[in-house]
Amino acid sequence: MWQKSKPYLLLLPAIGTIVLLFFGGLFDGLLKSLGYFPAIGETGFELTAYTELFRSSAFWESLSLTVRVAALSSLISAVMGAAIAVSLFMLNESAKSRNTQLWHRMFQLPLTIPHLVGGYIIVLLFMQSGFMSKIFANFGWIGEIQEFPVLVNDPFGWGIILTYAWKEAPFVSLMIYPVLSRIHRSWRDVSRVYGAGNWSFIREIVLPAILPAWTIAAFIVFVFTFSAFEVPFLLGVTYPSMLPVYSYQLYTSGTLADRPEALAVNIVLAALTILLGLVVYYFSKRWNVMKGWD
Amino acid sequence: MSDLRIINLEKQYSQTPKKKNPAFSLKPVDLTINEGEFFSLLGPSGCGKTTLLKLVAGLVQPDAGEIWIGDANITAVPPEARRFAMVFQQSLLFPHMTVEDNVGFGLKMQKIGKKQRLAQARDMLVHVGLDGFGSRFPDQLSGGQQQRVALARALVSNPRVLLMDEPFSALDPGLREEMRDLLSRIHKEFRFTVLFVTHDREEAFHLSDRIGVMSEGRLLQVGKAKDIYEQPESKKVARFLGLKNIIEGNVANGRFASMDQAIEFPVGESIKSGASYMVLRPEMLKAAHRHDLQSPDSLYLRGTIQQLRFNHGFYTATVQVEGHQLESHFSNQEAEGMAVGQEILLVVELDAIHLTSE
Repeated sequence: MWQKSKPYLLLLPAIGTIVLLFFGGLFDGLLKSLGYFPAIGETGFELTAYTELFRSSAFWESLSLTVRVAALSSLISAVMGAAIAVSLFMLNESAKSRNTQLWHRMFQLPLTIPHLVGGYIIVLLFMQSGFMSKIFANFGWIGEIQEFPVLVNDPFGWGIILTYAWKEAPFVSLMIYPVLSRIHRSWRDVSRVYGAGNWSFIREIVLPAILPAWTIAAFIVFVFTFSAFEVPFLLGVTYPSMLPVYSYQLYTSGTLADRPEALAVNIVLAALTILLGLVVYYFSKRWNVMKGWD
Repeated sequence: MSDLRIINLEKQYSQTPKKKNPAFSLKPVDLTINEGEFFSLLGPSGCGKTTLLKLVAGLVQPDAGEIWIGDANITAVPPEARRFAMVFQQSLLFPHMTVEDNVGFGLKMQKIGKKQRLAQARDMLVHVGLDGFGSRFPDQLSGGQQQRVALARALVSNPRVLLMDEPFSALDPGLREEMRDLLSRIHKEFRFTVLFVTHDREEAFHLSDRIGVMSEGRLLQVGKAKDIYEQPESKKVARFLGLKNIIEGNVANGRFASMDQAIEFPVGESIKSGASYMVLRPEMLKAAHRHDLQSPDSLYLRGTIQQLRFNHGFYTATVQVEGHQLESHFSNQEAEGMAVGQEILLVVELDAIHLTSE
């Protein structure tokens, strides 16, 4: 009996902490979003926060910005990540040299840099008085640095998208690379003998191989950017702001009455994330993407 | 005619600093394989036969020499444009494609429409005995079936040359024989040119029109199975073909004598003087009766039976003749009454003795 339950008991402190902090926090948020807030004397349950939220145009604008930024950053980082991984793979196949290692390390570099620092790098590079605009002005491609497009703290969210694309592309390639290394070295020989050039090999063999890992990596990036806070806070504009920032603005607005609405935003975020997870799971099952690989 | 001609093809691998032994090199190979011929490269592992195959496929670039098919020089043509096919040691099927798609892969690369491609793939699957397996995935097939699919994939695109790199070595013996028969039957039916690499003598003898024996990066001898078996051009070839009873000696004044002078007999005028090896095939050694008249065209050897083993269908006797142990095959009838320790007189016709060099 002791032997059987020992591992569970040993795990209990860790699991307990996670349950308390994560699910406890989520549950507390859910209660407060439903108007249960004993600190201000509210002990009833109501959906006012949600109806208010769904009626406000600020919420819908914020949601559309969030979806746009998350979709574009995951799309760009997925394409870039796959390109990096495939290039590294082909490089590795054609020549085993020290250079390959160097390239590997270089592409992994963004992984080691915190998001906040990444955000600052994008600010320094792309703001109107940043490096890029100065370089463009020095080369005479633009007359004044003010002519450089507004890419940071812009209403479209390009600054945030650039940061995430740069930061998450290595993550996507890191997810794909181990799958690529499962591709038999001799498959390249086989495909060449049967008439496949480099591009046909990538289309017929490499892409189908990486598709499952690729979908999952892109989804993780999407969900992460969908609910991330610091980069949108640093690189976004005050209005419209991304949902996590919008929630923060409501929460810290100074009045406790806005808090249920702020927490309702978080619950909506969590619900959408779970929903997206289910959709991806359903499609990956349905496409049978893993067929034959195991 | 589109014969495959290999002209002085050479490859030297660079020395890696980690390995102390010298880097492998393929010495110049000169070889013509006729259209429709089944040609085997036979040799021990590491002798360069796979390197030669990859050179022909274009997967490895030669340092010197040329490859011609018919009157076209294809040395610089990339593998994807050679219209060859290759079957490897492992089936190397693509796991995410169905059997049909795997078989039709080469056709797809040739931009043949899906309908025609699948029809041809299905037809070829019938030929390799896998009718109805088209919609399965490779992981649902046994090793033998996978290799049949690999064979179908190779044949369906009607290749100019079919290259095979020890395709049956990963299969168990029963299956290997079955695949050998299948390949032999299919080759008779389609008559495509095959360059087959193996270290299995039996396989090469069973399948090939001609065989090339390789060792240490050199092509030692090319010929029909019977010719290279009966007349190996060197001791190395004889050894690799599993020939027993190879005895070192000298030819002088029209006679061969073993180093210890125990075995001696006259040789033809065409045999050059100098160091030589006699090769006595076990099946050519017979038991002679004492009262038989001794013929001048035969060599008689007196010895003692040291060992008598039953092999499937016949007996193998090890006979000690002076300082030499000779192996001899006897039928059940001949072996009747033989016993270990018994004296025996062996006889072999002089014509059946083969002399070869180092």
